[in-house]
Amino acid sequence: MDFLVSRIASNQIVYHIVVIIFAAFAAFIPRYFPIHFFSSRKIPEWFNEWMKYVPISLFTALVIKNIFITTKGYHFVPYDHPDQIIAAVIVMIIAYFTRSMSISVIAGLVGVWLLNMVL
Amino acid sequence: MAKAQQINPEKARWLEVLGIAMPLCLSYVPIGVACGILLHAAGFNFIMTLIVSIVVFSGGAQFILASLLTIHAPLSSIFVTLFFLELRYALLGSSLSKYIKSESQHFIWLFAVSMNDENYAVNYLKFATDKKWKPKDALLVEHYSLLSWSVSNMVGGLIGSTISINLEVVDFALTALFIYMIVMQMRSHLTLIICLLSAVLAIFFMVITHSIIGVVIATLIASFVGFLIENTVRNHSKKPDDNWFLTKLFRPRATRITVEDQRAEEEEVLEEKEEQQKEQSTDSHLPESKQHD
Repeated sequence: MDFLVSRIASNQIVYHIVVIIFAAFAAFIPRYFPIHFFSSRKIPEWFNEWMKYVPISLFTALVIKNIFITTKGYHFVPYDHPDQIIAAVIVMIIAYFTRSMSISVIAGLVGVWLLNMVL
Repeated sequence: MAKAQQINPEKARWLEVLGIAMPLCLSYVPIGVACGILLHAAGFNFIMTLIVSIVVFSGGAQFILASLLTIHAPLSSIFVTLFFLELRYALLGSSLSKYIKSESQHFIWLFAVSMNDENYAVNYLKFATDKKWKPKDALLVEHYSLLSWSVSNMVGGLIGSTISINLEVVDFALTALFIYMIVMQMRSHLTLIICLLSAVLAIFFMVITHSIIGVVIATLIASFVGFLIENTVRNHSKKPDDNWFLTKLFRPRATRITVEDQRAEEEEVLEEKEEQQKEQSTDSHLPESKQHD
């Protein structure tokens, strides 16, 4: 497959279109089939109870990935982003008291921007 | 509220939903532009950037796609990396499916292709806290965010190399959004424990697998442990809601009440009425004082 692609890679536009088609499938399969499967059947109660804890676990894992894990090689770096750690705490406090998504996000962005200049 | 009525005097639903989606759409603009700039640097022209932002519609996946293209990674590894990265949507889709069960196949298809982390978070929160939230509104949120995301991407692709940005700062918008979502869903001691567990597991599995699949594994395990603990408590405790795991954390008064809270409250009122009736008929014991939070 890669051999075939390398032959058409000389034409960049065609190569990019092929990449987009593959990317589209990679994005489509995990999105569509589970939701299709579970929305056309009766969902067992225990499954719903389990799924109730998915969002909070997933969001935590993603935040941890963004702050503590490097994008290249996936190494654990606890002190690489002190600015982001402090800003994360600020966002938590602001989200807790204001309950407003926009204020929290803007405060986080401003916070990390200022801390980035200081630290 | 008065201000909201001025802007939207006829209470058009699409405007109301737009108001709910607005913070999300705005936070997409800087990240979308950044992503467009990266894809431009990877060799995509702005039309390609627009198309890829519509069909992939995922910040993380597009950032990685750009970096894979710049290092001339083979197509097979691009596909596999993206596939694992997107695998978490299988969980998101499964957890939303109970809310859109009654919809047509066409609707489910449309809903699935334009779902991503952020609009899922908004929709999950709305489905859980707002009884009037309809699948149609959820789809509208998805489309607003898709529009904002793809236009921002295209703008990024067009301005290309003319400006430089600090990617780390821009990327933090998504982190902040997720932190907000976590705080909003923090309800009981158990959720706090699951949060910490998921954090530890995420680090562990990402380090040993060297890939994003660690996030999926950590999520599956942590959420399952949450389900197991809750289930055990409910089966073995006489008063499950008073158990330490399920007692609510202190929350400020502005906290939204979830649909489940409302249901629990209604049940409580019903129980109280029954109790009162019993007391009136038997007149045997003093009314128990019930604590409300």
